[in-house]
Amino acid sequence: MAKKQEKAKRGTLGKVLRYIGRYKLLLPVSILLALVTVALTLYIPMIIGDIIDIIGSGYVDMPAIAEKLGTAAILIGLTALAQWLMSTINNRVAYHVVRDMRNDAFRRMSSLPLSYIDTHPHGDTVNRVINDADQFTEGLLLGFTQLFTGVLTIIGTLAFMIYINWIVAIVVVVLTPMSLFIAKFIASRTHSMFKERSEREAEATSLIGEMIGNQKLVKAFSYEDEACERFADANGRLGRATLDAIFYSSLVNPTTRFINSVVYAAVALTGALLAIGSLGAEAAFTIGELSCLLAYTNQYTKPFNEISGVIAEFQNALACASRVFDLIEAEPEVSDAGAGLLGRAEGRVELEDVHFSYTPEKPLIEGLSLSVKPGERIAIVGPTGCGKTTLINLLMRFYDVKSGSIRVEGEDIREVTRHSLRSNYGMVLQDTWLAHGTVRDNIVMGKPDATEEEIVAAAKAAHAHSFIKRLKDGYDTVIGEGGEGLSQGQKQLLCITRIMLALPPILILDEATSSIDTRTEIRIQKAFAELMQGRTSFIVAHRLSTIKEADVILVMKDGNIVEQGKHGELVRRGGFYAHLYKSQFPTEVTE
Amino acid sequence: MKRLLKHLKGLYKESVLGPLFKLCEATLELIVPLIVASIVDYGIGGEGGVGHTVFMSILLVLFGAVGLGFSVVAQYFCAKASVGFATRIRGALFDKIQTFSYSDIDRLGTSTMMTRMTADTSKVQNGLNLALRLLLRSPFVVFGALIMAFIVDARSAISFAVVIPILAVVVFSIMLISMPLYKRTQNATDGILLRTRENLSGVRVIRAFCQEEDEMAAFSEANTHLTGIQKKVGMISSLLNPLTYVIINLAILWLMELGAIQVSDGVLSAGEVLALYNYMSQILVELIKLANLIIQITRALASASRIADVLDIPSSERSGEITEGAGGDVAVSLSGVSLTYGGSSEPSLSGIDLTVRRGETVGIIGGTGSGKTSLVNLIPGFYPATEGKVLIDGVPVEDYDVVALRERIGIVPQRAVLFRGTVRDNMRLGHKDATDAEIAEALKVAQVYDVVCEKGGLDAIIEEGGQNLSGGQKQRLTIARALVGSPDILILDDSASALDYATDAALRRAIKTLEGERTVFIVSQRTSSIMHADKIVVLEDGEAVAVGSHKELLGSCDIYREIHESQFGGGEQVG
Repeated sequence: MAKKQEKAKRGTLGKVLRYIGRYKLLLPVSILLALVTVALTLYIPMIIGDIIDIIGSGYVDMPAIAEKLGTAAILIGLTALAQWLMSTINNRVAYHVVRDMRNDAFRRMSSLPLSYIDTHPHGDTVNRVINDADQFTEGLLLGFTQLFTGVLTIIGTLAFMIYINWIVAIVVVVLTPMSLFIAKFIASRTHSMFKERSEREAEATSLIGEMIGNQKLVKAFSYEDEACERFADANGRLGRATLDAIFYSSLVNPTTRFINSVVYAAVALTGALLAIGSLGAEAAFTIGELSCLLAYTNQYTKPFNEISGVIAEFQNALACASRVFDLIEAEPEVSDAGAGLLGRAEGRVELEDVHFSYTPEKPLIEGLSLSVKPGERIAIVGPTGCGKTTLINLLMRFYDVKSGSIRVEGEDIREVTRHSLRSNYGMVLQDTWLAHGTVRDNIVMGKPDATEEEIVAAAKAAHAHSFIKRLKDGYDTVIGEGGEGLSQGQKQLLCITRIMLALPPILILDEATSSIDTRTEIRIQKAFAELMQGRTSFIVAHRLSTIKEADVILVMKDGNIVEQGKHGELVRRGGFYAHLYKSQFPTEVTE
Repeated sequence: MKRLLKHLKGLYKESVLGPLFKLCEATLELIVPLIVASIVDYGIGGEGGVGHTVFMSILLVLFGAVGLGFSVVAQYFCAKASVGFATRIRGALFDKIQTFSYSDIDRLGTSTMMTRMTADTSKVQNGLNLALRLLLRSPFVVFGALIMAFIVDARSAISFAVVIPILAVVVFSIMLISMPLYKRTQNATDGILLRTRENLSGVRVIRAFCQEEDEMAAFSEANTHLTGIQKKVGMISSLLNPLTYVIINLAILWLMELGAIQVSDGVLSAGEVLALYNYMSQILVELIKLANLIIQITRALASASRIADVLDIPSSERSGEITEGAGGDVAVSLSGVSLTYGGSSEPSLSGIDLTVRRGETVGIIGGTGSGKTSLVNLIPGFYPATEGKVLIDGVPVEDYDVVALRERIGIVPQRAVLFRGTVRDNMRLGHKDATDAEIAEALKVAQVYDVVCEKGGLDAIIEEGGQNLSGGQKQRLTIARALVGSPDILILDDSASALDYATDAALRRAIKTLEGERTVFIVSQRTSSIMHADKIVVLEDGEAVAVGSHKELLGSCDIYREIHESQFGGGEQVG
């Protein structure tokens, strides 16, 4: 299991590297700059050590000091420049990698089968494209700048320390890992506390969501006092768990600081003893060297303390990346490359022995056959949740049939491209959807090259022109996400206008059950009627008039088509339709 | 923040002791360079020798240990103060929100209230914790180092006095410049978030219109825009490290020069130069910490003021004292009632007159936005009428004790919401003491008793948001919930929309058979749900265009007839 995870992690790393590989030229430059930065940063304390030695030698040689200062100043400038260039390059690589990944993820989203989109929570997918990608960038940047330079600094410092004095170097190497052990010890102890805290947090948040989210309900039932009591309990538990988690985890910093001061003291002691021991000798250990070693000790412990955090961050970044890759690599729809093109259909649709189900355990449509001639109206009726949308899914080829076939104009819809099939359909769902953009943008969806006259004519035919004119900027009014600012009925009229403009030969319409004011409702019905003239139409119907006028009524129940026929026939048959009809339209029957 | 400080009551001790111990630790840190100087000058260079060196090294470790002690105590107090503070604020917010009236809730919005309670309080908690720990400590170390430098050698310390302001200006201006840019990054991220969400929610339409490529192009453009801003911010904020590095190191070089002169004059020792060098290094670290801290605290302060805004809102809910109605024949009467919501210029209801006798069933019909829900919301006093009078049992609504009034009214809201918990808990929402028998009776009337039995009876668990129930089941349960405690007035606000017509009819029949005289209000879009009512109110644009029975209205009211015919067909204008 662990091995498998390890392998998966390496797989992700490989994929990340492939993305980074596109910026091949920048990478070696960044590495080179990192090397330069680290080497210079480490060299400067040595110069300062030299200066201190000159100062400490009793006779202060000002010209020598001035020369050293000059060199140091130039090197400092170079270090800063290298540092800045390096971070700029790293930023560029990281942001571009993430941009590429997001583009790929979005592109894949556009070719995912509907079954993926319907079964995966949208929030989760959005999260992958936005938050996971964001966290990945942060981790990648941190990895680039801190992990890499951190490791280089540790190695470089060690090398310099050994070069100056190997005994002191050993002291540092032996003592420093202590801080890592302690950090790890505390982390493992606090893990359960953090878990407890996030559980308590989830508890409180879900209570807030329920109560505050439904505050009106709470008030309507005078439930306020109980709600307060329940929250006070949850809040108290959350407070206690948070205190534990925050306090114990906040011990890491002081402890590592303490370890660092122990290391610092040890270096000072060893160095001083060495200096005293070698006092007067030719290869004496000098004060300047001691100051340099002390500076190194600080430099060495810093990345050491940070590195565990950075590694954790980097691992998290990889986990985020792998979630993004899951999306990028999700199985796309069966490609329709090489499939034929369906020309403009007359409107003949045939279903032959169609079987379909979303999950194998729950067979839904079994052996459905239906033959529709151009211009016929098919009404689909049945109680809510009976699977009327399933049929739409199959006709539009949002889902593929399990067996049997659907043919338009005699062509199996799996043999033609999706685009050529779908451009033969006009679909208006009750659950209207408008894109963020202007009214015009939304209307021309089906016919991007439409002229202004055509657009207005379509809007007039759809009875939408008068309300669009009254909008703030007419056809250029910007509609918010999800059609914000428009009423349900207006949204539906816009959707109808879209279809009115493209005038496809086959229609799929979804009559509104409710929520529309009377006047608009009547307009929509008129627009529907105009649209249906001479076109094959499938209508999810709620209105008796629509149903009665249909050429074929498909009666659905529990995802299955239970009856099929004309209104009169079905009522006489006395089956499910007759029952439904009686319960829905009691007066019609009694009168 | 000031407005929230009263919630720190009882945490004063912790809030003072935390920073205090932090300062003790910082003081120790400031002494360390002096000890090292003493090792150099007296241990290595002077008569102290090995003994002095070992002693001073032990002292260094000792200082570290005592510092650790101080720090642990400080962390504890700071954590306790900030967590305690956040917990109190969260509790206070929750309690405050419970007192809000419907208008208050509308004005604030649900998601705002939830963000205040979650994200904002947690930002305040972190901000306070950091502030207690570092807000005093960082300046203390910076100025402490400065003072120590002056004590060691006033002339060399001039470099400190010059470099500290320069560093401060650089660090803070980079932070100030990049902060608004970060906000722009956030906006650009929101842009691609919108595109992504839209691509998912509109997938069917996008594919039906073959818009995949256009969507891709739009996303790619937004994405490139984001990357551009990110690179710009990155370029500016990555100036911080190199710039401060240059400044501090040049300052060290300057210090060396000044020191060299002082040493050659015999005023300063090599160890003291080393100590000054160490002080200089401490300053940079603390200044950067301080700058980061200020960003975090600014965010926390913004959150704090948002929270304080909510806590400062005076609740507009008013409660009278009357608990009993005046009796009489009329259950509900509205005369000349109009209602204008806060923030809206148009009235949602105007000139409504309606008299409802005890035991009558009233149907209310009309399109979206015609004021149906507004009308029934006046009855339990959710909103006070802007004009006119609403009388329940002959007493003005506003004179009633809120709890007593709402106890007598059963409401089934449009959205069928159930809480996580057992069926019993949910049924007892408004009546804590309802017996199982009463609940069972209500469930039966609501046509949901069988479903509950199937799921395991009154102890059956309802998941969050009622996920384990169908829409129709949820709706019937909310109806049952309103029936518990057999209210005198029952309000069904379009609550049968997810029920099929047969169940809807059975439900209406069952409500009729209930004991006692019950006044029922049914809001609906379907004429079939209200056609049997004693009285039907037809609303259009907030006005009652007609009141009468089904038969009467079919003859006299065009709008009613239109609605009816659009649902039952047969009319000419339907086509």
